[in-house]
Amino acid sequence: MPHQCVKCATFYPDGSEEILKGCNKCGGRFFFYVKQKHIEEAKDVTVNLSEEEKVQLEEEVMEIIGEKQDEDYPVVLDFETIRVMKPGKYELDLIELFKGKPLVYRLGEGKYVIDIISTLQSNDKNIRDGHKYAEDSDEEIESEEKGN
Amino acid sequence: MIIKVFRSYLKRIFDGLFKKKANIKLGLYGSPNAGKSTLANRITKDWLGQEMSVVSNIPHETRDINLKEGVEIRKGGKKLTFNLVDTPGIATKIDYEDFLKFKLNSKEAKQRAKEATKGVIESIKWLDNMDCVLFVLDSTANPYSQINITLIGNLAARNIPVLIAANKTDLKKSNIKKIEAAFPQYKVIGISAERGDNIEELYDALFKVLK
Repeated sequence: MPHQCVKCATFYPDGSEEILKGCNKCGGRFFFYVKQKHIEEAKDVTVNLSEEEKVQLEEEVMEIIGEKQDEDYPVVLDFETIRVMKPGKYELDLIELFKGKPLVYRLGEGKYVIDIISTLQSNDKNIRDGHKYAEDSDEEIESEEKGN
Repeated sequence: MIIKVFRSYLKRIFDGLFKKKANIKLGLYGSPNAGKSTLANRITKDWLGQEMSVVSNIPHETRDINLKEGVEIRKGGKKLTFNLVDTPGIATKIDYEDFLKFKLNSKEAKQRAKEATKGVIESIKWLDNMDCVLFVLDSTANPYSQINITLIGNLAARNIPVLIAANKTDLKKSNIKKIEAAFPQYKVIGISAERGDNIEELYDALFKVLK
């Protein structure tokens, strides 16, 4: 029977030492005892929804919130900067492009084209300018995180 | 190596001292169909008597950088000269199917998508050359888009002065307050580039930003 922290809702399996010592995340010492059967049932409710139902569910929630559903989902790519989905369909990683990252096109699973000229130009420019926005900003973020 | 670095440092100082005001580059940036080219035409028509860009309802009409040199605006005895750069709209997704709705055939639409992608890369490359950016936003659209946030973040990181033109105020759905709330650190001027509404206030603000 799993145990759920009353404060932060973290689950711990039966016999975990956290139940005696306190929750790892928040230090809470009170736990709900939840029947495995109920967890499985709760999972089933969302897992067994059809794609159509999931879309409808999302639409309904967005309607309740009062926000127009934004179809413009953010584009986050792997290491490529431009993903060619099919002829005439492109996705661009603006964040990496603004950082001056090389133009790497992903044509499909395991197929990439690297624009060597733009890569060299971008490196050359960074050296000439004596600074790199990308690295500067990354370092700043890292140091801020460390500071926190 | 040290001599090389020193020489480059001296060159930068020298260039900075003698940089001509006339070479100020004012870039028009924003998402596709925000009205950048309409605004560019409004500015050049007002001060040069001629338009500089082609405008259409089809997204990504501007797919190359358009440059108009020596635009001179005058206000209350003051003069401001700059090179106006109209840039292709910045997008995260370019889909030829979006162009098919505008009666382009599949081949034309795919070619347009290819050129638009190239245009986005060009716009990004040119950003480092800008002395000031007029960020054109469609005031009827959601300002919290990935494009807007990324662009404004990069302008701030590069210390490029920014003026926000909240365009299309002539439309019912226009919401300038939402744009002001999204970018409180920048001056937002509501305009209608098409009708010329409030354009004088935009010129006044340009003087302040570019002084």
